[in-house]
Amino acid sequence: MPEARSQKPEFSKKLTSVLIGIVVIAIAAWAGDASAMLTARANHDHITIDFFYHGSTVSIRGISEPGTDLVIKITSPEGHQVLKQKGKVAGVLWMNVGQLKFEQTPNFYEVFSTKKTEDILSSEEMEKYVIGYPALAKHVEITPVANEEEKAKWFDEFVKFKEESKVYTTSAGKIETTMNAEGKQEYYILTAWPYQAQPGDYLVSVYAVKDKKVVEQAQSKVNVEQVGMVKTLATMAKNSPAIYGFLSIGVALGAGFGVSLVFRKGGGSH
Amino acid sequence: MHLYLPVALTSINILIPVGLGLAVGLLSGLFGVGGGFLLTPLLIMFGIPSTVAAATDSNQIVAASTSGTYAHWKVGNVDFKMGLYLLVGGFIGGIVGVQAIKLLHAMGNADFVIKITYILMLGIVGVYMFIESLQSMRKKKDAPEKEAKEEKESAMGRFLKSLPLQTRFEKSGITHSVFVPIVLGGFVGVLAAIMGVGGGFLMVPIMVYMLRMPMHVVVGTSLFQILFTCIEVTFLQAYTNHSVDFLLAVLLLLGSTVGAQIGAVFGRKLKAEQLKILLAVIVLVVTVKIVFEVTLTPTLLLSQVGGH
Repeated sequence: MPEARSQKPEFSKKLTSVLIGIVVIAIAAWAGDASAMLTARANHDHITIDFFYHGSTVSIRGISEPGTDLVIKITSPEGHQVLKQKGKVAGVLWMNVGQLKFEQTPNFYEVFSTKKTEDILSSEEMEKYVIGYPALAKHVEITPVANEEEKAKWFDEFVKFKEESKVYTTSAGKIETTMNAEGKQEYYILTAWPYQAQPGDYLVSVYAVKDKKVVEQAQSKVNVEQVGMVKTLATMAKNSPAIYGFLSIGVALGAGFGVSLVFRKGGGSH
Repeated sequence: MHLYLPVALTSINILIPVGLGLAVGLLSGLFGVGGGFLLTPLLIMFGIPSTVAAATDSNQIVAASTSGTYAHWKVGNVDFKMGLYLLVGGFIGGIVGVQAIKLLHAMGNADFVIKITYILMLGIVGVYMFIESLQSMRKKKDAPEKEAKEEKESAMGRFLKSLPLQTRFEKSGITHSVFVPIVLGGFVGVLAAIMGVGGGFLMVPIMVYMLRMPMHVVVGTSLFQILFTCIEVTFLQAYTNHSVDFLLAVLLLLGSTVGAQIGAVFGRKLKAEQLKILLAVIVLVVTVKIVFEVTLTPTLLLSQVGGH
């Protein structure tokens, strides 16, 4: 009996630890559910470029935990870009004075947020997830620059150049949020997709933000692809440059002669 | 209506390239210039990447100059013999110019040399043509019956006549050593390669003032020479840089081929001095534009690699 008695606390201890384990797992699972609440879906995620393409629209929607702010970042894969740099020569003349290399730079970078990113995120978090121009400035490597001040100046010029080409933008307040019947927060954004964005894969990252921190992330993709004759011509220009060159010259010669003949038939004048 | 350009990777309202083509084709038919020095910057202004703008421009000049050459040939205004000698010179000059630009790039001051060459050449040619045609217009007014053909023989003229291998250019009604057009064509070829243009606006004054060809033959012959230069450039650009946008070229040439025909018709109605003074004004306007460009602070301090 004493043995049995002594076994009872042993058993209850085991039972208690199993129960605690279950509760921990359940809490974790519940927490997991919470962190899996954020969803992101891009509509028109496959944009096709034909002859009449003049840009498109992309909408992103999903569900997030109530009370969280949202940041949506759309980027192309990072790479390196080389640009010509203008400077003053002899104190008065603006000339191209060299080239700058921008490393770890996306060709396309758009950030949308429910509020100003610097108001809802700490600078550490912005840097960690490369959200906003100041964070991107730290992430990008620019060569050759003499010091940080010069780097900052050329990064600003870089953003100006990209914004002019419509492939860089940041804006706050464009994301709409509503509460649905199940008490969850739904978000939605409809954004214009610029025709200047080159064909390729684009990553849509959605961040749920609370207390200046990213608490959840979800991702989606947008694919931009040339189709039909646009694709045929672009591929031919790259893969069969000699044929493409002859074709271009042939058509130009043909058009020149063709129009001349039309004008002659039209009567000419001399 | 907008169309997407497969190599330029951008969308453009079709009225823009057709309209620009028409305007440049008109100049081409009128003056015998390719118009690259006008069209390339305009295309860049409308969002075409600079490399594609320069390459596609030469493709459409092939069409415009075919149309223009044909129109001028019909009325007997192309000196094929002279054109061929100039072409030989231009081809050699082009090779030398490309090497020169490589050397300048290696020395790191290519852009400075290109811009200054541009301003000086355009400025000198524009001012000289303007003053000269103004003077000959006045001369004609004073003595309308007297043909200003018989110019006083200069030291330069005597030197040119003393050169070996003198040959008669029937169409132009002049006699020169074969070295004269080859060397002058070579000079234009070097400058054209350095400046990245066809060189029509240099070739025309050289033919008028140094070779003493009649203005109407100059226009047709210049177009003939430009045609071959641009065929070569288009092929090289398509083959090495993959930067010719076929669709953009078609849109441009829709306008330029028609423009070149209209230009050729108008050109026949204008007097040589009027043609020269008009070209001088256009060249001077472009010079002033470039001077502003290099002296005013640009809005963007970064630009794509390639082109001007």
